[in-house]
Amino acid sequence: MTPASLRGWRLVHRWTSLICSANLLILCVTGLILVFHHEIQHLMGEELDSSYTEGQARLPLQSLVDIARKADPKLEPKLLSFDPEDKAVNYIYLGPPEESGFELGRWVVLNGFTGANQMLKQPTETLVGFLLKLHVDLFTGFAGQMFVGVMGLLFVVSTVSGLVVYGPFMKKLAFGILRFGRGTRIGNIDLHNLFGVATLVWAFVVGLTGAILSFSPLITGYWQKTELAAMTARHPEPMTGSMVSIDRVAEAGLAAFPGKDLAFIAYPGNEYAGSRHFSVMVRGHTELTQRLLSVALVDAETGVVAEAAGTPWYMTVLMLSGPFHFGDYGGLPLQIVWALFTIVTGVVTVTGFIVWLKRPRARAVSAGRDASEAKLGSKA
Amino acid sequence: MTGVWRIPAALAVLSVIGLAAAILGDGVWDWLCWATLSVPLVVCAAKLWRQWPA
Repeated sequence: MTPASLRGWRLVHRWTSLICSANLLILCVTGLILVFHHEIQHLMGEELDSSYTEGQARLPLQSLVDIARKADPKLEPKLLSFDPEDKAVNYIYLGPPEESGFELGRWVVLNGFTGANQMLKQPTETLVGFLLKLHVDLFTGFAGQMFVGVMGLLFVVSTVSGLVVYGPFMKKLAFGILRFGRGTRIGNIDLHNLFGVATLVWAFVVGLTGAILSFSPLITGYWQKTELAAMTARHPEPMTGSMVSIDRVAEAGLAAFPGKDLAFIAYPGNEYAGSRHFSVMVRGHTELTQRLLSVALVDAETGVVAEAAGTPWYMTVLMLSGPFHFGDYGGLPLQIVWALFTIVTGVVTVTGFIVWLKRPRARAVSAGRDASEAKLGSKA
Repeated sequence: MTGVWRIPAALAVLSVIGLAAAILGDGVWDWLCWATLSVPLVVCAAKLWRQWPA
């Protein structure tokens, strides 16, 4: 590598890291706790009621929808969502008749075995909800979520550029050397280098998947407006009669994909469905295949499948980003590993910042910061 | 590959194996995941332990 390109990489590493460091610390602290969100919800009594007795039959979907509608008779069912981990938990979205999106209505959560209705608490009312909101969008909605996504991308660039500048720096140093007796800056550089390079793959993967998840509204929106819209456009017939039951729709959708489980069912008129067709989305049930969605359009008047398809690669990437960001796919030991990596990443963030703070200053302190900054750009 | 990259590359390979293993299956795959993914953490802890100023 030429000295000029190394200087460039150092600048990239310095500035991408500095810009995302404050947000990264928030993400590390909240993420560290969120890794254990199931356990915390359990301790705080915030978890959803998912109790049922072994062998108990599920209630028909239609009766769940009927129970949900009692929450607000002016609203109509628009979407059903099924929890992949907890088969007793069903989410039902109710919205005004003309609505196709998810802005004006409300979510109802039902126990699919007992029909017990559970009020969804506002995010600020629960510890996990509060931390999650802080983690995902800093309490600033869509714009904040995009901001955090961009910070995630900067972090990814920072890990890659960090790896590039690691090699030349370590040329004459043994791996893992920690020169604590040599002053604050050297000690922090060594700790930053060891912890950073040892956990680089994990940090890269969690950063990248976090950024992808941040952009999930854009990714699903793109799929919905292109491939899914093209699919529903091939079946433009309007509703003329009455609908078959939601259970018949679910059965037809499941029959199109043997061995799969229900993931979502969108009612006709919803943005994820056709004008007279339900969208029945299904997934597999292994750790891997539960992240792969397929969709069937089911005629609401006849209960017949009009078309069935998989989802494009970018939807699979989005779905697979979940486990690799949350660390929830390998039991409690993986959660603990995830938490430890998060702590190490926090240490890398802080030590990196200290290294920058303690950068060698140009001759005179009073010589003007801008001038010395420009000169030092090549050093830290 | 020069000496600088030998250990970091090994840790990276172990990390990739660990991250991928648990998504592919349960049981032995989970154990493979926990074992390999712990190595970078153990290396960090060991280096810190041995060189911590007395």
